[in-house]
Amino acid sequence: MPTLHVISHSPFGDERLISCLRLLGSEDGLLLCGDAVYALHDGSETQRLLQAAGLGQRLFALDEDLQARAITGGLAKVVDYRAFVALSLHYDKVNSWL
Amino acid sequence: MAKSMLIISRQAPWNGPSAREALDIALAGGAFDLPLGMLFLDDGVFQLAPHQQPAAVQQKNLAANLQALPMFGVEALFACQHSLALRGLAADTLALPVDVLDDAALQALIARFDQVVTL
Repeated sequence: MPTLHVISHSPFGDERLISCLRLLGSEDGLLLCGDAVYALHDGSETQRLLQAAGLGQRLFALDEDLQARAITGGLAKVVDYRAFVALSLHYDKVNSWL
Repeated sequence: MAKSMLIISRQAPWNGPSAREALDIALAGGAFDLPLGMLFLDDGVFQLAPHQQPAAVQQKNLAANLQALPMFGVEALFACQHSLALRGLAADTLALPVDVLDDAALQALIARFDQVVTL
């Protein structure tokens, strides 16, 4: 049962992203929103980490949060809220890392 | 048939209400016979450390609540091996008997529950 993991906290000084990547199943998706999109910042350690994780089409980032922070999606598939809702229906369940 | 839910608790015990609230959710769910599991991850594993004395920081001990989990029917209790090792906690000293799982087993665990929430 594939899971969509949703993270909204900045990955800097917080273990959520690293732990999530360890627990991520081979069919699970990861959606970054809020401050979690800082993980995609060009040249950052977390960007390298995500690249190494090789999620391909299973990594998503929320468009408005990228725009607000002047971050380019790059590695991630950029989605709006409609697509976010569609994704949460596509996966069997959503695990929000509160 | 009620949907199964895995509660992932990843906060240390005495720094805010998160650890206690995750435990309260598990106990409440257990009281209603919901099929629940609980996973201690990241700093959440510190909840399982033995010989804690939270009275020193004016907090109530969580140990009684933790011990109550099996009595409330929450018997699927797990801890992350990586989180324990990183923090120098030995599995055989923990205040509550839990199944210690490696990353691959944790991936399978999350997959088999109907719902998952990480607090």
